Amino acid sequence: MRRALAGLAALALLGASGAAQQSPAFSSKIEAVRVDALVTDNGQPVLGLRPADFEVVDNGVTQTVDLVSFDEIPLNVILALDMSDSVAGDRLSQLRAAGGRLLESLHKEDQAALVSFSHEVRLAAKLTGDVAAVRSALGESHGTGTTSLIDGAYAGLMIGESDAGRALLIVFSDGVDTSSWLRADAVLDTAKRADVVVYGVSVVSRLKPEFLRDLTSLTGGRLFEIEKTANLPATFLGILEEFRHRYLVSYTPKGVAKDGWHKLDVRVKNRRATIKARPGYLAGS
Amino acid sequence: MIRGLAFAVALGLLESSGAAQQQRAPGSGMLLPATLVEAGRIERLERWMRAVARHVPGEQDAAFVEIAGWPNDNLKPLFVDASALVQTIGHAGVNAGATMTVRPAGQKTALRVRYSTEQYHRLQVLACAAGGRMLEKECWQIKAVDELDPELRQIAVLARASYLRGDRNYLVRRAAIVHSDVAMLAPGSMVAPGSVGRPAAGAVERFRMEISDGQELDLHQSAVHWEIARMLLDFVRPRGSDRADPGHDDMVRQWYRATAAWMQLKEDHDKIHLEHARELFPSDPDILFLAACQRETYAGAPIQTAVKSAFLPAGVVIDVASDRAELRDAEAFFRRSLDVRSDFAEARLRYGRVLDRLGKHVEAAAELRKAIGGLTDRQMLYYGGMFLGAAEETLGNRDAARVGYEQSAELYPMAQSPLLALSQLARHSGDRGAALRAIDRLFALPPEERNEQDDPWWWYYVSQGRDADVLLDVMQRPYRSEVLQ
Repeated sequence: MRRALAGLAALALLGASGAAQQSPAFSSKIEAVRVDALVTDNGQPVLGLRPADFEVVDNGVTQTVDLVSFDEIPLNVILALDMSDSVAGDRLSQLRAAGGRLLESLHKEDQAALVSFSHEVRLAAKLTGDVAAVRSALGESHGTGTTSLIDGAYAGLMIGESDAGRALLIVFSDGVDTSSWLRADAVLDTAKRADVVVYGVSVVSRLKPEFLRDLTSLTGGRLFEIEKTANLPATFLGILEEFRHRYLVSYTPKGVAKDGWHKLDVRVKNRRATIKARPGYLAGS
Repeated sequence: MIRGLAFAVALGLLESSGAAQQQRAPGSGMLLPATLVEAGRIERLERWMRAVARHVPGEQDAAFVEIAGWPNDNLKPLFVDASALVQTIGHAGVNAGATMTVRPAGQKTALRVRYSTEQYHRLQVLACAAGGRMLEKECWQIKAVDELDPELRQIAVLARASYLRGDRNYLVRRAAIVHSDVAMLAPGSMVAPGSVGRPAAGAVERFRMEISDGQELDLHQSAVHWEIARMLLDFVRPRGSDRADPGHDDMVRQWYRATAAWMQLKEDHDKIHLEHARELFPSDPDILFLAACQRETYAGAPIQTAVKSAFLPAGVVIDVASDRAELRDAEAFFRRSLDVRSDFAEARLRYGRVLDRLGKHVEAAAELRKAIGGLTDRQMLYYGGMFLGAAEETLGNRDAARVGYEQSAELYPMAQSPLLALSQLARHSGDRGAALRAIDRLFALPPEERNEQDDPWWWYYVSQGRDADVLLDVMQRPYRSEVLQ
């Protein structure tokens, strides 16, 4: 039971907090595409870019960037955390501490949710602005059972999709999948359709975290492979900080097909920069 | 509790590559020079014989405790001496020779041992008692009866009664049951000290890897109780037969079926066990079914990931192939099982799933539909809905896939897998609303009411062994009488 990853989305609205309170719009039409992009130079975030600084090429066709947002759109942070047998004792304490530190660092307008997964996938805390409730749920989680990483990641993606806000999914696992029903390729297909950026954190072992690697790559996120979970709080905070430094680039596709896989190429004009964004998206979904 | 998911698993390991090379060597079947049997071994064999006769199958009685307490350093010689004893029973007083040859199952290299004159004489006396042949000429000639204490005489009487009923296997059957009881009921006794590495030539040795959630926990030598039991049953002479022919003995068949089911229920896997069972019963649909299930399990993530992550000493390899290779074996064994018993619905259900995993989706869907028509068990019907749903989904038949998943969701309303499948199916179809509604059904399951039994998917890899206790009881029941008091 193994495999690979995911990409983007297509929504009528850019997610603002107001939009988050509306009924979710599940239109299958692509009116606008938004791409979360991290722009760095020598590892440092590049700030102050405007729409005219970006060039987006959608299936080979250069698009006009309508809007670029930076650090002003509230976040929906979804934690999908491995709570299998192996996560117990110190590791569980460190995981709780990491989650707690991250939740403390959220802004007032941000929302959070908690999915715990062992063999069982559980919505421990629904998406809410009541961060204390999420922290409380985190404190009650405990490790038992096997690892349904793929099922848990899917549940996290769907929570991200349930709200029009800007979604960051952080998936932590110290193992590999042993009990999911869903196949990795199916969940990666979902990720290609979703407007959720996934960051993964895995503990180094002899087994390569192929699914998390693919999932984070397809969604424009990043995989952190850590030696020790003692560093977990710093890792989680680093993810949040990096995500806040990302631009949300929006454009209305023109001259491209409405369905199928769209290869994306995001660039910054007239300066040296490294761009991290999803490699494409599945339209018509 | 789902042991298969939450608890350690033991995998049978192949012998070290050194032994494997010996098996492949030209002229395999080489004999090693005979080694002298050290003092005290026949006395231990006698204690073993008494314990075997006293043990009530399935119970952790004093005899059980005694044998369970023997270290592997005692069990390995016992393997040899018990083999020598039953060979001598076969000859019953005829001079079988003080030099005995023993070949552990799965090894081509035979072990040769030489008993002293005194040791061999005592071995003959014990064989006369255990074979129930004290009244026969060969045993009279060596005056065996004069050398038996009351307890051994009672064993001789019990063995004689069995002999007169046509079963010449009083000791052999009971001994196999004792050792399988120890292996099943005293798992702690299966962990043996000693390094894991190249075994001595001709020696019977087994290694086991304990795994949990796809990761290795421990690698150690294993006590050879299963090996002793299998070796003994190889000497069974069916009613009316003058020679060992275990493949035509129903108790042996029941023993393999029950113990293999137990192994799969407890995830205590051992490939050699079922390979030997298939050698004995090549056309038995139940044995073939269990062999296929074992290969299907070996192809699953819990074992595949554990094998990939294992730290093994140089020269030691695990007898688990790639997932596709294991699936192909499973496919073949299920097919053969169904060839023998075409109405074996559970075999057909699993066969369909294996075909689907091998990419034969059209064939899989057809087999699954046929299987579902013959199923009545709720759990099996749940699997049927899920597997048929998956096959139909792959074929692009989304409505049919949805029907399958929904049927499984109705059968087990607290199960998460059908809801995940329905959500993902809808999302793949571009219907995000339906996908969210399905996942909301999962999120709405009341946490306080959820438990380990909610989702049959979680125990799919052990479900084929769910009747193990019944099978063991049926197999053992005839041997709960005529126990040495």
